[in-house]
Amino acid sequence: MNQTLSTKLLAVFPIAVFACLFAYLSIESSTFLSLGTFELILKQAVPTVIVSLGLAAVVIAGGDDVVAGGIDLSIPATAIICAAIIADQLTNQGNTLVFAMTLAFGAAAIIGAINAFLVVGLRMTPLLATLSMSVAVVGLTKVITSSRRIGVTDESIVFIRDGKIMGVAASVILTAVLVVIFYHALHRTRWGMNMQATGGSRDAAEISGILTRRFVVQSFLIAAFAGWIASVFVLARGSGSSPGTEENMLLEMVLATFLGAAFSPRRVVTLWGAVLGAVVVSALSVGFISIGVNVFWTGCIKGALILLVVASAAVATKGRS
Amino acid sequence: MKLKMKLVAALAGSVCFATASFADGHLSLDGKKVGVAVVGTQHFWDREAFNGAVSTVESLGGTVVPVDGGRDNQVHADNHDILLAQGVDAVISILGDGAVEPKFEALSGAGIPVFTVDHQSPFGTNNTTSDNYYMGTTIGRYMADAIGGEGKVAVFNAFEGALRICGIRAGLWKYVLQDYPGIEIIQPELAEEFANAPEDARIKTLDLLSQYPEGTLDAIHVGCWDQPAIGIVQALEEAGRTDVLVTALDGGPDTLEIMAEEGSPFVANVAQQPNLIGSTAAMNVARHFAGETLLPQTFVEVLPVLGQEGAKAAYEELGYGTLD
Amino acid sequence: MTDALLKMCDITKSFPGVLALDNVALEVASGEIHGLVGENGAGKSTIIKVLAGVYKADAGTVEIDGHVLPDVTPRSVHDAGVRFIHQELHLVQHFTVTESVFMGQEEQTLLGLSTRAMRQKAEAFFETALGTEMSGNTLIRDLGIAERKLVQIARALIDNQAKLVVFDEPTAPLTSGETDKLFTAIRKLKEQGIAMIYVSHYLAEITGICDRVTVLRNGQNAGRFDEVFDDSAPAMISAMVGREIDELFPKTEHTPAAPRFEVTDLSAEKFEDVSFTIHRNEIVGVAGLVGSGREDLIDTIYGLAKPRSGTMKIDGVAQKFRAPADAVGAGIALVPRDRRHDGLVLDMSVSDNINLAALDTVSRGTLENRRAANAVATDMSETLDIRPRNIAATLRLLSGGNQQKVVLGRWLNKGADIFILDEPTVGVDVGAKVEIYQHIENLAQDGVSVLVSSSDPGELIGLCDRILVMLRGKIVAEVSTTDLGVDELVALTTGGATQEAVS
Repeated sequence: MNQTLSTKLLAVFPIAVFACLFAYLSIESSTFLSLGTFELILKQAVPTVIVSLGLAAVVIAGGDDVVAGGIDLSIPATAIICAAIIADQLTNQGNTLVFAMTLAFGAAAIIGAINAFLVVGLRMTPLLATLSMSVAVVGLTKVITSSRRIGVTDESIVFIRDGKIMGVAASVILTAVLVVIFYHALHRTRWGMNMQATGGSRDAAEISGILTRRFVVQSFLIAAFAGWIASVFVLARGSGSSPGTEENMLLEMVLATFLGAAFSPRRVVTLWGAVLGAVVVSALSVGFISIGVNVFWTGCIKGALILLVVASAAVATKGRS
Repeated sequence: MKLKMKLVAALAGSVCFATASFADGHLSLDGKKVGVAVVGTQHFWDREAFNGAVSTVESLGGTVVPVDGGRDNQVHADNHDILLAQGVDAVISILGDGAVEPKFEALSGAGIPVFTVDHQSPFGTNNTTSDNYYMGTTIGRYMADAIGGEGKVAVFNAFEGALRICGIRAGLWKYVLQDYPGIEIIQPELAEEFANAPEDARIKTLDLLSQYPEGTLDAIHVGCWDQPAIGIVQALEEAGRTDVLVTALDGGPDTLEIMAEEGSPFVANVAQQPNLIGSTAAMNVARHFAGETLLPQTFVEVLPVLGQEGAKAAYEELGYGTLD
Repeated sequence: MTDALLKMCDITKSFPGVLALDNVALEVASGEIHGLVGENGAGKSTIIKVLAGVYKADAGTVEIDGHVLPDVTPRSVHDAGVRFIHQELHLVQHFTVTESVFMGQEEQTLLGLSTRAMRQKAEAFFETALGTEMSGNTLIRDLGIAERKLVQIARALIDNQAKLVVFDEPTAPLTSGETDKLFTAIRKLKEQGIAMIYVSHYLAEITGICDRVTVLRNGQNAGRFDEVFDDSAPAMISAMVGREIDELFPKTEHTPAAPRFEVTDLSAEKFEDVSFTIHRNEIVGVAGLVGSGREDLIDTIYGLAKPRSGTMKIDGVAQKFRAPADAVGAGIALVPRDRRHDGLVLDMSVSDNINLAALDTVSRGTLENRRAANAVATDMSETLDIRPRNIAATLRLLSGGNQQKVVLGRWLNKGADIFILDEPTVGVDVGAKVEIYQHIENLAQDGVSVLVSSSDPGELIGLCDRILVMLRGKIVAEVSTTDLGVDELVALTTGGATQEAVS
């Protein structure tokens, strides 16, 4: 009885930590607990949410062992190269948005296909394969942009930045639609369940007649697709392509996805978890600013909090097996 | 020496000016919440400008809401949205590229004045900056003199198109060089990275040196700042090249120390006073609230630095200590 | 038994150098539970894999329901209604029961998964087909092993198309209480007219549950029991064993001297209340099937796993081993069953490995005396017949058996009061076996206490003075090897007999 009680406490610990923290922030700052701030948090979480959807798909299909399981570190790089291609086409080459996005889609598809080939065809460790891919893609982006900023003034992009749909920020609504589509596909269809089974236990999935390699390949293509979608929101956020965005996005994506696993009752990477993780990371940034935490300390405090939560999740999982 | 005298006078002047305003007692930010946004705190210049703004706002009785973009221009831009949501009374925005413009527009639209540092914007109330025109022309003259008025020059120039201040500095450097037909700027120009600038510049310089062997390259200039120069000097040492001179702009303690080394290839710089710039921006916020009309730009004096001895002297004058 | 559901005739399958199945026949009638028994290597898993379409037989036919399968593939066998319950559970830990049961065969509509319908179907299946209650929302990792086994069964049978279910060692990971749950389910399936093949080492289970039994030995049919009674086990065992102990063993009687190593009430996750004593000059064996707790006991004794309670004493002094190094420090020599934990340095030479534990004897000051070390290694490599006979060879290049000999050689060289040998002759050829046995025998005569854990009953009887028999986590018998037959030992380890019956 005692053990189950402590197990249960441990299970709600991650949520409790953040609940307490947000309660504290709400009391300390007069502005934190407001609809406006909430919308802002969601708005700022958008690019991270989208790339995390991609990572979640790869982890779901590949398993959550960080080294041997599924991981795709090249999604942010995919997003910034697509953003660079679109910005370059729009501003420097004077092409249409549709043409620019099609070109970027092609680039994303090639990246996804190569990742899948490296991991499934050549049996490379996903961590290594996609990290190398990320470095290569970031390098290529610098070639395209000459490491310079390219501003974008396209109407559709500006709409995503400033527009409202039914009184809510357009980027938030569009992302919500995307999340629902991804959720339905990955958690509410036979295809998605088979992908989950593939990541849950490769042997079990194969014995059940699931073509696991196909699902791993698909997961990398989905990741690249997420990167491509994210590029539009990255462009909107920066009103163009600015260098130096991939590093921060990579960190937040990995954090959000695995923080999400700590929130999920099953302690595994899920789509909702990844979305929630991204929103929590964004809320932390906004919250710390709203109570005026010294900028030299924010990174440290954020890191410590996340470590605490992820470690407690690891302890809880260990206690169960 | 004449130049030096002029500088000391200028420095003394600005210090007196600042002290006078404090003593004046007119200026106060009592009860005001001022957002201070900086693109990153990794580089000395950015950090000092940030610290100068924060400490001055606080000493004037204001509350600071500090935000740090973590070297990511997009995060820096996003941070302005948070300041808007926080309901600050004014924003001091340090550096940043074009990504912040829509945010400035939103802030000024909401009646929140934006005071920029080193970033001219149509939506800003005032921009505090170094005398970039003087910096650009001075470093152009110094570099031309250093290589004897002719030769091949490589330039790191990623930000000329993205940041107006860099446009001024690099543009005027090129303007001066027009009068030296013997000086050729190697094309294409090099593009440095903002994050990890020294390491990035080191690698790019090593590539450059392998393309231009001994005797075919005379100087490497950094168009808008000098963090890449740290890596350039390192690369020159690694490659054992003594035929290439380095010039750049900013003159923080780290680069002045390099210039002060015996036989340093880093021969000319123009030192800024980032702390004073940040502090001046904060004073401008107070002046604005005191009802004073501000000019669109406030210029803070700079200090030209020439050679090893010049670096030592500047180091001392700027209050970084002494170098032997 | 005219209505044969499955008829496998004249199945022959060979692998390079081995004839795994030699004209084997297996026939299962509809609605019966058919036992398949035999020693390790008798061909049980090979014939099951032939039936599953995993191996392609060299010759022979597979007939189901009167139709000969033209091509035996996993798909064609599945379509014919044959389902396999593998020994491994193959479940996703974080899936619910419903998700696991429907894995790979999920039901969905245009709106997405029919979660509720699937859950109701799964729960109903557990209730009606397996006679147990199970909530569809429970996570697999929150279930006991027996319940997970039931989920595995439900997954194979949920489509209601199964005619024949093959169980491969279904009870191996279960405790005796848990097996009852499984048997309830199996009997329930039989009531529904489903035929089953039941592969197991546990003869007590076979006699308890099977209608007929086929016995395999060395890849051939060794008998079929068309009627099975509670006392059929001995007859099955003699059919399974069918040989006398090889004349490999230099057996001599030892007179056990004072007790040296005492284990009292040792318990851990997979075994309970284990007590025994090893005296000087004595060789004690541990017998038990995979999953009996034998391997876990050995791991616990040498500090690889943590005991829950109990004590270990050497010469009356209590010991606590947190790691194998502690056991070595207390004067125990370890020859583990796999080379993962034995401290062999695969990139070092044979000589270096042999001398690793006893560098002080071949060193002057801190300098290793190369010549002395190499002399020791050469000597050891001769006596143990380590091949290739090259003490400078890198260990990685040696075969598994020869690596094992290097470990043994290291400890023979160093010397110790207590030797623990875990599967000492696995992968070792017969000639070398005899030499290893002789060395173990010599150790005992020199006053060393030896504990041998082995899955080879002949080896234990030939080598040991006494044997501890483990079954489902407990020592169920402790027998002297004098006049002990292999069939009797097999009967004890498989639960086919009790100690009283044997002695």
